[in-house]
Amino acid sequence: MGAIEVENVSKRYGNCQALEQVSLDIQAGEIYGLIGPDGAGKTTLFRILVTLLLPDNGSARVEGLDVVKDFMAIRRHIGYMPGRFSLYQDLTVAENLDFFATMFGTTITENYENIREIYSQIEPFRDRRAGKLSGGMKQKLALCCALVHRPSVLFLDEPTTGVDAVSRKDFWNMLYRIRESGVTILVSTPYMDEASLCDRISLIQKGHLIETGTPAAIVAQYPHRLFGVSGKPAYPLLKFLRRCPDLLRCFSFGSEHHVAVEPGTISPEQLQARIQAEGFSDVVVREIEPNIEDCFMELAKEERQES
Amino acid sequence: MVLLYLLEKEFKQFFRDPGLPKMAIAFPVLMMLVFPFAVSMEIRNINLVVVDSNRSVASSKLIETCTASGYFNLVAVSDDPDWAMQQMDKNRADAILTIESDFDRCLERGEALPVGIKVNTINGTKGSIGAGYLTSCIQRYRAEASPASTASPTAGPQLDVSAKYYFNTYLDYKKFMVPALIVIAITMLTGFFPALNIVSEKERGTIEQINVTPVNRGVFILCKLIPYWLVAFFVLTACLLIARWVFDYSCAGSVGLMYFFTAGNILVTAGMGLLISNYSENAQQAMFVTWFFMMVFMLVSGIFTPIASMPDWAQAITYLNPMRYYADAMRGVYIKGSTLADVWSDAAGLLTIGTVMVAWVILSYKKTT
Repeated sequence: MGAIEVENVSKRYGNCQALEQVSLDIQAGEIYGLIGPDGAGKTTLFRILVTLLLPDNGSARVEGLDVVKDFMAIRRHIGYMPGRFSLYQDLTVAENLDFFATMFGTTITENYENIREIYSQIEPFRDRRAGKLSGGMKQKLALCCALVHRPSVLFLDEPTTGVDAVSRKDFWNMLYRIRESGVTILVSTPYMDEASLCDRISLIQKGHLIETGTPAAIVAQYPHRLFGVSGKPAYPLLKFLRRCPDLLRCFSFGSEHHVAVEPGTISPEQLQARIQAEGFSDVVVREIEPNIEDCFMELAKEERQES
Repeated sequence: MVLLYLLEKEFKQFFRDPGLPKMAIAFPVLMMLVFPFAVSMEIRNINLVVVDSNRSVASSKLIETCTASGYFNLVAVSDDPDWAMQQMDKNRADAILTIESDFDRCLERGEALPVGIKVNTINGTKGSIGAGYLTSCIQRYRAEASPASTASPTAGPQLDVSAKYYFNTYLDYKKFMVPALIVIAITMLTGFFPALNIVSEKERGTIEQINVTPVNRGVFILCKLIPYWLVAFFVLTACLLIARWVFDYSCAGSVGLMYFFTAGNILVTAGMGLLISNYSENAQQAMFVTWFFMMVFMLVSGIFTPIASMPDWAQAITYLNPMRYYADAMRGVYIKGSTLADVWSDAAGLLTIGTVMVAWVILSYKKTT
């Protein structure tokens, strides 16, 4: 039995189909990533799973409990950290934690071991009001509050949005340690680079799951060869590459352009020669491994063509 | 246990709020110290212009009687009616008393007095009350000036009517307004605070965090009601003490009964506030809708105008107005000393509306939408 099972869940807001026939099966003790751009339906799915929203169709179970029928029972098993900081800003760190512990019928001391590692980092500020904490500390406090009742499933909705790179790395390390204690974690993020940090992921776009699997498996399925192309000036180069009919896709990725080609049609050397012939300088074309973002762009494109 | 903790949290937040505790104190003080004077319907300083075409001893005695009453402010005595009218047009005169040239003769003969009254009714209350004062001044003057005429056979049998004001012997408007102001203060505070409280939890997203906990919704609603119950009791106590110390008024009936009705009223207004917040997305919406209902309640509550003088359809609406029951009971208890047996219908009305309101709140506060 999976920790979270979702079967054909759909949700519509007026004219907007937020989720369409979404199915998921998340195993106990894994970090599962829901990867997709803003507005893809990540938060809607989270809100259905944490019993804040009713699905229009389909069913979902968390720890074997139905999200509609057994919503009260589910609440004792889950921890939820919404995307927006939503603790009491006018209560102190300790009061917030104490408050949520009491709401779940427990105390901080009873579950101190569960949160010790994270709480110890914010404990020096225990008498500071939550509204006066820095972004990273707010996030740690929110995580503590979500963990204080020893949930077996943790829902983290875009926990790293708006957090600096160092804090994000810290945060993921915390997640790995939480997983060691057997907690299942469902995390959503719009950052493709965080996808490879998850055990398994689903790519979501416009309410559809477009791919599910381990990050490595999804990358392995990438059907084309991928070249990293750089040269000066960068923007005219991108426009030129997009005009070439034998190149499948081209988009800029940091300082490079990623160019997808059908295997066997053109080699990096040939492409380099062609670009240099057009008068671009500092041209480098190298074969690269696709990452999750390349896969997402590829899959999102297919999805668009199908629909 | 959870309820106690939720309450503790509410109080912490209340006292940490930069505005709320100050408002809870300033509001009753302001209500009791400023408004009894400001909202008084006693009319004084009516600007009077006299057109005296008679210019006799008798006519000047009449003018003296009017000014001596203390209600009028004699602007000028003239013999030009057009000039007097201009004064009214320019808003310098609220009333014009016209004394015709045969005034003293008519008085001697015991005939009807040739006196005219014109009042400016842009302010309707001031106008009609001013006219009333003037009429009574003229009658008093006539009674004093020609006692013989009252005995004359042409005047017919005379009735000597003297009014006695019960429960508020001196017809003191302040005493009349004190319980009404308590009603307004408590209704405003307990109507707005809980509504804004829940909406702010919505706006900050904290309500979502509460909603994923196994907390019962009845408990959650109750923890929003109780603090304002206590705030309202505090306000009521403060108002009663101020009325006692400053105006030397005391409650004619049972103070306990006033607390009882206040408790019932909070059930209604706080319930209504919570109800509005359940349907509002943000503080502005909640604020505006609450304000709208408060206005309607206040205007048709009988606080400012008697319900009995409203048209039938308006009177019918007042039965849905919780403030009607509350204001009626509070005035009855405070001024007249009514007991529960006298105002039981108010209690029944208030509690019925309150029960419906709270039930609706709990049902409409959906933890899962």
